[in-house]
Amino acid sequence: MKRLTIPLAPIALLPALLGLALFRVYPIVLAVFESLFSTFRGERLFVGFENYILLLTDNGFWQSLWVTLWFNLIINPLQVALALLLALMFVQKVPFIGIFRFLFLIPIGVSLPVAVIIWRIMLLPDGLLNGFLGALGLPPLRFLTSPELALYSIIAIATWKGISYWMIFIIGGLQNISPEIHEAARLEGASSWQRLWLVTLPLLKPTLLFVLVADVTINFLLFAPIFMLTNGGPRNSTNVLMYEAYKSGFVFGDMGRAMAIVVILVALLLVIVGLQFWLLSGRRQGAAS
Amino acid sequence: MNWLRSSQMRKGLIYLALAVSAVVFIMPLWWAIISSLRPNDAIFRDLFPFSPRAFLPEPLTVEAYFGIFERGFGTIIWNTLMVAGLTTAFGLVVNGLAGYAFAVFNFPAKNTILAIVVVSFMLPFEAIAMPLYGVVQQLGWIDNVAALIVPSVANGLAVFLFYQFFRQVPKDYYEAARLEGAGPLRILWSVYVPLSMPTCISAGLMLFIFQWEAFLWPLLAMPAQEFKVIQVGMASFQEQYTTAWNELFGVAVITALIPIVLLLPLQRYYVQGLAGSGLKG
Amino acid sequence: MKIRTAFATSVVAFLAATGTAQASTTLTILMLEGLDKGAMEAVADAYMAAHPDVTVEIQALPWGQFFQVSDLRLRSGDENIDLIYTDAPVVASYAANGYIAPFGAEIEAQARETLVASAGQAGTFEGELYALPMNSSAQVLYYNIDLLTEAGIEPPAGLTADGQASADDIQAMATEGRWTWERLVEAANAVTKTEDGRTQTWGFAFEQFGELYQLQPLGASLGGAIISDDTMTAADYLDGDAWRQAANWWSGLFNVDEVSPRALGFGEATQMFVNGQLAMFVGGTWNVPAIAESDINFGIAPHPRFAEGAAVTPTGSWYLGVHAASPDAEAATDFATFATLSAEGTGIWFDNLNQLPTTLALLEAIDTDPAYDAFPGSVMRLSAWESRNTAQPRPVTVAFSQLQDAFRTAFVDIANGVDVDEALVTAVDAYDEAARRLNRQ
Repeated sequence: MKRLTIPLAPIALLPALLGLALFRVYPIVLAVFESLFSTFRGERLFVGFENYILLLTDNGFWQSLWVTLWFNLIINPLQVALALLLALMFVQKVPFIGIFRFLFLIPIGVSLPVAVIIWRIMLLPDGLLNGFLGALGLPPLRFLTSPELALYSIIAIATWKGISYWMIFIIGGLQNISPEIHEAARLEGASSWQRLWLVTLPLLKPTLLFVLVADVTINFLLFAPIFMLTNGGPRNSTNVLMYEAYKSGFVFGDMGRAMAIVVILVALLLVIVGLQFWLLSGRRQGAAS
Repeated sequence: MNWLRSSQMRKGLIYLALAVSAVVFIMPLWWAIISSLRPNDAIFRDLFPFSPRAFLPEPLTVEAYFGIFERGFGTIIWNTLMVAGLTTAFGLVVNGLAGYAFAVFNFPAKNTILAIVVVSFMLPFEAIAMPLYGVVQQLGWIDNVAALIVPSVANGLAVFLFYQFFRQVPKDYYEAARLEGAGPLRILWSVYVPLSMPTCISAGLMLFIFQWEAFLWPLLAMPAQEFKVIQVGMASFQEQYTTAWNELFGVAVITALIPIVLLLPLQRYYVQGLAGSGLKG
Repeated sequence: MKIRTAFATSVVAFLAATGTAQASTTLTILMLEGLDKGAMEAVADAYMAAHPDVTVEIQALPWGQFFQVSDLRLRSGDENIDLIYTDAPVVASYAANGYIAPFGAEIEAQARETLVASAGQAGTFEGELYALPMNSSAQVLYYNIDLLTEAGIEPPAGLTADGQASADDIQAMATEGRWTWERLVEAANAVTKTEDGRTQTWGFAFEQFGELYQLQPLGASLGGAIISDDTMTAADYLDGDAWRQAANWWSGLFNVDEVSPRALGFGEATQMFVNGQLAMFVGGTWNVPAIAESDINFGIAPHPRFAEGAAVTPTGSWYLGVHAASPDAEAATDFATFATLSAEGTGIWFDNLNQLPTTLALLEAIDTDPAYDAFPGSVMRLSAWESRNTAQPRPVTVAFSQLQDAFRTAFVDIANGVDVDEALVTAVDAYDEAARRLNRQ
């Protein structure tokens, strides 16, 4: 039986692997190679690891690294938890749920630039949110212009934009759990919270692993809202590494430094994603399949 | 009695949560919808400082929507639907097959290849835009729609998604179908796909949204701009000195609705079976 | 059989004939979408009418992504691009990276005769002319007459919708009537109205919040350059006395007097002015049509200066350069000189776009032509005066992008309450680091 299955594997894999090799892996190799070069007066010079060494002695880089880690430490658990909550609400069968489901799906279609434009207006010093605070008798907050709040405002905007999308994946995962298991748990007298913690969540692990890995990746590389709203400020409080890389490469024309930052960022990402695999997927399954 | 009270309270809580989330989701977009129905010079009238009138379309006009279609947005939306639709269709087949192969077959260096596939989506697109431009240039695809579609079909994240779900399908199903004489492709189609319908929809949505939001790449790959996609078309509303805010928001509303309209008929796959068993007493 | 061969031969002959008769060249210009593109099309049409063997094609990019995408395509040595439309301060880095080719001595001499000095200067890098100016820009002070008078402030001497202004009137207005920044803050304080901690009417704003282009005149008015002449350092320049004083004045707008809104987005100052929520702003003359259309009773005064300083105004705008990798460099150069130096080309551009010209002939015409006596032509006349007397181009340095970013970061941070010294020193460090990196060897 094994002998028969072998020919199909390459054929099934070929289109995807070919596409990935040509349009992802090859460009990635070239890009990573670029981190060993520096451009001076239009000439590419091989500089070895100089770009990396310069980064390690650069205070701005370390500060930016810290902002990146803190940003991700907050945004990822927050997004996954809220997406899960939203998914559980989405599958409730209560009257009028159709309307709510429709509303939950809205941010999926709103592109990030538009979401950012809209939220900026909401968060202005004299904007809607401060209007609410004023109605409650609270002083206005400087959501995007104070070093203490700006990063969290960015997190809020990205979360608004992101959780509906991740919700869809989690609903898909919930769907894969057989209803009989829930029924059995209910007959044994488990409360709904117990069923959530002891049945739903453990069975949702593969979905949560996927969502977490994909979400962490996207948030590690996220910089568009920062680019559009704060330019890394105030006082570098939102200067994540990817924005620093973008600036180096596309604003300053220093591709070598940009790629060195990206390589370090992706290496860091790999460690974190590897950790998630190790924690959530269980090593034995990965080895057996 | 106790049971009744807790059940009602639970229902109340669910509605409260639903309502709060709904407001959070709709409010920013509501402002965009209203702004698309105002003349361009009235968009900011009630914003500095903010007054509740910003949530009302006054003066009311649909000129933005006429403007949008005069700019050829009918074609642009159609273009984007075509690019996104084809990418989704090819992508589901290509990535689905690869995910299936990773999930059910054993072959040399499998885990290494899978790791490379997973890593391939972890680099920012900005970083590979330049080398990718070189590849597509050598293929002679600049200003060809193929440049928008083909490089986006194979997607490491989609392969990973399929792999992650296909390997949850019990191996017994596969073995049983084999014993009945079904080939691997047939098993994929009649056992794996029906069991993973929500996963297929999620993967499709992922591929679709990727193209729906594509921006930097279409600008690079289609320099003659004869074939425009939505995000590129929208960018031209923000000019050097002026912005057509009402048209920008008009397009934002249209582009937000299209994926939802496509998604809504599919939600029955999501809410059958398990629905409700999460929290309902 | 014979007929077919004969036919084929004649087709080949025909193709060869048309090929030689029309050794057609296609020039591709990478440029900005919008009104600029329309004006370039008009120039291209005129050029093609005179040169039937040349086809000019325009590839337009949206404003927001213009520099990023054009940089990517230039970096890849894309031979399809012959001409590049670009912003003045980027010229140095394009030239240093070998993206654009120098025009040579002959065209340089022609440019010196034809153009206003500051415009040629900004297209020059290390003594060679790399880019030719399409047009320039000017900044003026817009003021809401009603809001100022209500607050008991007499508006500055300026141009209004019903007034006329001769070249002499403009001269007087710009030399004697020019407001000082100190006077402006006083007026802004009188106008700003706040209720329950929320500002209803703002006194003053700059159109481009924190941008170097917009704010360079602050330090320059006090005699401060941003970087050293050899472009190697900003130390003792951007954090020198003049800039410290300028930055403190800027900080006061937001943190002491609170007359200016923090973090205005692009175009929002104009919107607020049109809505009557902002009494004064310094902005480009490109805002005139939109404001004239509104029902605001407004005037336009010369760009302010410091009481103890000189009048300095921003300048510079779009340039045209020839792509170094262009296979048709000669034809591209010819088109560039037509568009930027010839009377016909510059005339068409000016008529279509109505931006401040850079040729001495057009500036002269604005001074003398009675069509510019009345509003809004008089605004162009004021701009023309500034461009010859007070305009100061941005510094030419290969690290301009880094300088601009460091400058913006510093001034935005200062507005948000960061200490002036700390912000300026941080910006100096950032620039010096970049200058070292880009000027090594």
